[in-house]
Amino acid sequence: MTEIRVPEGQWETDQEAALATWLYADGEAVSTGVTVCEIMVEKTSFEVPAPAGGVLAIAIAEDDVVVPGQIIGTIT
Amino acid sequence: MSSSDTQITAAPAERRLTIAKAMSEAIGQEMERDPSIIVLGEDIGKMGGVFGTTTGLHDQFGRDRVKDTPISETAFIGAAVGMAASGMRPIVELMFVDFFGVCMDAIYNLAAKQSYFSGGKVSCPMVLMTSVGGGYGDAGQHSQCLYATFGHLPGMKVVMPSNAHDAKGLMLSAIRDDNPVIFMFHKALQGMGWLGTIAGSITDTPDDDYVVPIGKANIVRQGSDVSIVGLGATVHHGLEAANKLAEAGIEAEVIDLRTIAPLDRQTIIQSVSKTGRLLVVDDDYLSFGIGAEVITSVCESGAAPLKCPPQRIAHPDIPIPFSPVLEHFILPDAKKIEQAVLSMMKAEK
Repeated sequence: MTEIRVPEGQWETDQEAALATWLYADGEAVSTGVTVCEIMVEKTSFEVPAPAGGVLAIAIAEDDVVVPGQIIGTIT
Repeated sequence: MSSSDTQITAAPAERRLTIAKAMSEAIGQEMERDPSIIVLGEDIGKMGGVFGTTTGLHDQFGRDRVKDTPISETAFIGAAVGMAASGMRPIVELMFVDFFGVCMDAIYNLAAKQSYFSGGKVSCPMVLMTSVGGGYGDAGQHSQCLYATFGHLPGMKVVMPSNAHDAKGLMLSAIRDDNPVIFMFHKALQGMGWLGTIAGSITDTPDDDYVVPIGKANIVRQGSDVSIVGLGATVHHGLEAANKLAEAGIEAEVIDLRTIAPLDRQTIIQSVSKTGRLLVVDDDYLSFGIGAEVITSVCESGAAPLKCPPQRIAHPDIPIPFSPVLEHFILPDAKKIEQAVLSMMKAEK
């Protein structure tokens, strides 16, 4: 199992980030490197690539606030 | 299930994109191929567009080809028309279609008539991309669709993707077209988190070069009982309704127009010839709209005897409300489509 984490060091820590869009649904298969979700920081989006291939398990829902380093899902 | 089946499921070859990413990828790939392409608009530079349509292009191509403009649509859309007349291929963003009032002279009196008035000597290869649609409480001056307003005026092509695959293919077609093309994109499909995104708009999108032809509708679901014609967001509402109707034994055919002008009347007429029932759904104002044009086209053709009167669902002829309760009461959705089809089936003699 590989954890998917919010990227670190890409925006100012006092800016609120939210999980904008999951491009795959919970339980769907993803391959390494595809964008699995996007994080939105003040109308700028950051892509989160799949760190591994496998079945996606989503831990954080769309619109929830997230912080750098936070685990937002796993790939098994 | 065998273990090999599990492995196949776990290793997809697809690559999903949002419509926003599909648009910016198409523009970037075409800019690499054609140095005459320039992108103009408000916040389309460093920011990559309020709706993500130009993400990464400023870094890749620099400020001479990806230009942030002042907040004057009158000036920069007029400038784009001039660029197109002098051999460049501008792509210009009108952030919200609602703002067309201050730049419409450049669009419908200059761009749309350039080729006609010059006897074909001066074309206008311009793409005007613009956001449409509501559903997120942005009220009456930021939520309109205005499909019919643009579709009504000759000299322009008007396209509208419902998913990322079509967005990329339509954008490549639009850029290569020597006529002005209005490229509308729906905010509820765009893939910007702050607007919400209908999941069906995020689709497998090849990274290579392909076009979706302008003027060709797409049958996204086959059915024999009723033809549901939509575009953009209402395609997804139509598909959701069709799945519910299938549980009741009603098979709906769902048509994605993809292009408003020129309208693919043939595909619609052929579908209604098969089903005998027609429902048109769009989120522009009702009167003088897409529904009226589609229904008239079918009736005029005489090719499709109808089993019941054709129906349309659209936004009523009032400004779009700010209150989310009122707005969602008014906007087309799957439930309204399902109920309309059920009453059409009952109306049959």
